[in-house]
Amino acid sequence: MAQVTLDQVTKRYEDVTAVENMNLDIDHGEFICFVGPSGCGKSTTMETIAGLTLPTDGEIYIGDREVTNLPPKDRGIAMVFQNIALFPHMDVYDNISFGLRLRDYPQDEIDRRVERAADIVQLEGMLGRMPEEMSGGQRQRVAIARAIVREPDVFLMDEPLANLDAKLKVHMRTELQRLHKELDTTIIYVTHDQEEAMTMSDRIAVLNDGKLQQIDPPLTCYNEPDNLFVAGFIGSPSMNFVSGTLTDSGFESEHVSIEFDASALDVNIGAEVTIGVRPEDIYPTDDYELDTLTRTLTVDTEVLEPMGDEIFVYLLLDDDVETDLSGGVTPGQLLMSVGPDSDISEDETIEIRLDRSNIHLFDAQTGEAITHSLSTEWSDAKQQQDITQ
Amino acid sequence: MLSTLNKWFERFAETSFTNPERIYRSLFYFGTTIFVLFTLFPFYWLFVLAVTPNELISNMGPFPKGFNPSIFVTVFEQLPIHVYIFNSIVIALMVTFAVITLGSLAGYAFGRYDFKGRQPLMLTILVISYFPPAAFLLPLYRLLTGNLELLGMATPDLYNTPWAVAFPLSALALPFSIFVLTTFYQQIPDGLEDAARVEGTTRLGALYRVIMPLSLPGITTVGVLTFIIVYNEFFFSFLMTDGSAENWSPLVWGIAGIIFEQQYTTPYNLMAAASIIGVIPIAILVLIAQDKIVSGLTAGALKE
Repeated sequence: MAQVTLDQVTKRYEDVTAVENMNLDIDHGEFICFVGPSGCGKSTTMETIAGLTLPTDGEIYIGDREVTNLPPKDRGIAMVFQNIALFPHMDVYDNISFGLRLRDYPQDEIDRRVERAADIVQLEGMLGRMPEEMSGGQRQRVAIARAIVREPDVFLMDEPLANLDAKLKVHMRTELQRLHKELDTTIIYVTHDQEEAMTMSDRIAVLNDGKLQQIDPPLTCYNEPDNLFVAGFIGSPSMNFVSGTLTDSGFESEHVSIEFDASALDVNIGAEVTIGVRPEDIYPTDDYELDTLTRTLTVDTEVLEPMGDEIFVYLLLDDDVETDLSGGVTPGQLLMSVGPDSDISEDETIEIRLDRSNIHLFDAQTGEAITHSLSTEWSDAKQQQDITQ
Repeated sequence: MLSTLNKWFERFAETSFTNPERIYRSLFYFGTTIFVLFTLFPFYWLFVLAVTPNELISNMGPFPKGFNPSIFVTVFEQLPIHVYIFNSIVIALMVTFAVITLGSLAGYAFGRYDFKGRQPLMLTILVISYFPPAAFLLPLYRLLTGNLELLGMATPDLYNTPWAVAFPLSALALPFSIFVLTTFYQQIPDGLEDAARVEGTTRLGALYRVIMPLSLPGITTVGVLTFIIVYNEFFFSFLMTDGSAENWSPLVWGIAGIIFEQQYTTPYNLMAAASIIGVIPIAILVLIAQDKIVSGLTAGALKE
């Protein structure tokens, strides 16, 4: 049994704080992904768990042991590195058995374990090869075999699939999930690829600026992000944000206003707020399937990005805004996702509605989420009015 | 006669325009030949001196004045060359071992460990290595012959032991070795060391099992160069031993000692023969290690 606990872990370099007051409780057998942009502290956090860097403050527990100041070799962990890090002067067998030989296992035990590990990652018959003679995917599998052969309590994986091509990546992803089921160990996995995080993990830990933003199952992070950062980071393409103020009758901004009962929320009237809505929660007006839609907004379509199974439509709330496709959605712009049969074309004026039940409201100052769904009763009443008018 | 030479030269010039490869190749052979002649001539000259009987050695030309191959046997009767060679090899191995061990530790620290004052310390080491060795001579002699008191205790008398030679030579060879090993160890990716540590080594274990094996060309270079320098060394061994084979005097001191033994003549043929025999171990060593040395020297020079 190996749960991993981080208690107030802080890592400070001379002028940078890489990790700040990190608290984590990871259960035995869990598959946890650390995600976040580059430099958010996810690799540093992992290195402190591995013992490759010592934290400036705080304590780390693996199982029931405090390991804060133990060297990596005594922590019962194995690690797969981003750059694979096979020992180039050893063949596959020596690479995989390196840790076992250091620990003086009997030869037949080493042979048995190496064979089993090679079997799991499908490397039979390649034990005599040198790393330089292998392809990227094969090397990756050797690195994973080297980690599993020691039967560690905790696996640490630092972007293990980052250097693989797209097809191999998807393949290795399923392999890793299969492996996780088979081995029943704790896996901590660092990635900047949120697709990897969404598909593989039991829980996602979203990090930014060295701080933990949210740790929850993937769909919770997606549907109920704790703050603006998580909302914007999880999901591709990312959530649309519109900033405005909270009034008695709901949300007001230059281009968008949405009526709802603001008094029911735990926030002062007149506060600066940001609403967030995902591209798939915006509907053209002719789509009346849902009864939780807002009033219509009139917008201009600008650019269409057909993806095959859906079409991304860039919408302009304001004629002055210039599209900047490189940085995603800019203020004054919305991104809508419609079905592949939609007949929307570029540069036309259309009417859209938002799904009230999936509108997120954030405090613009703190970034904290206020609610993940606006009251629908209000909308029903209002909409009835709209229609009768 | 002149016209044929003219014609030949004209044709040569013509082909070198149409086929410049050819002239490059001939220039290459020309240059190589000269280089080889320059480097091999001293050995040839030694051979000439060795096989010429000593009483005929005066106004020597490029050819031997007699032929006396038995000198290579005589020299062993006159001088325990094999013992001198053994002494030299032992001392050289001691120094090489010390230099690689200490140099690796220092090279690891300088190359892979971030600590305050790394740059100034490295510079200090390099600056000291440029001091003339003779400057250390008197203090070292006093230190190693027990004529110095440190903390109320007399230093041990190491005169006529291999330690007296190995100590100062190790110290002198270290700075350059540290410098070379630092550049080599620096180039090993961090991930490999991290991997080794996670797999179960300490930092020192990672140095020994991963970093050093991967830096083998650098270590060979340092080892062979140190070995050669110590094997050929005369200055310190001349002062720290008395010149007799049983008192750990190395080869060069032994050969030079031939001059002091004979009062009225200088047996050049003996010295030449002893020198040729003394070169053999080094020649074998270099032949074995040459691949590694070449890649080591260039890898150190072309740091990415």
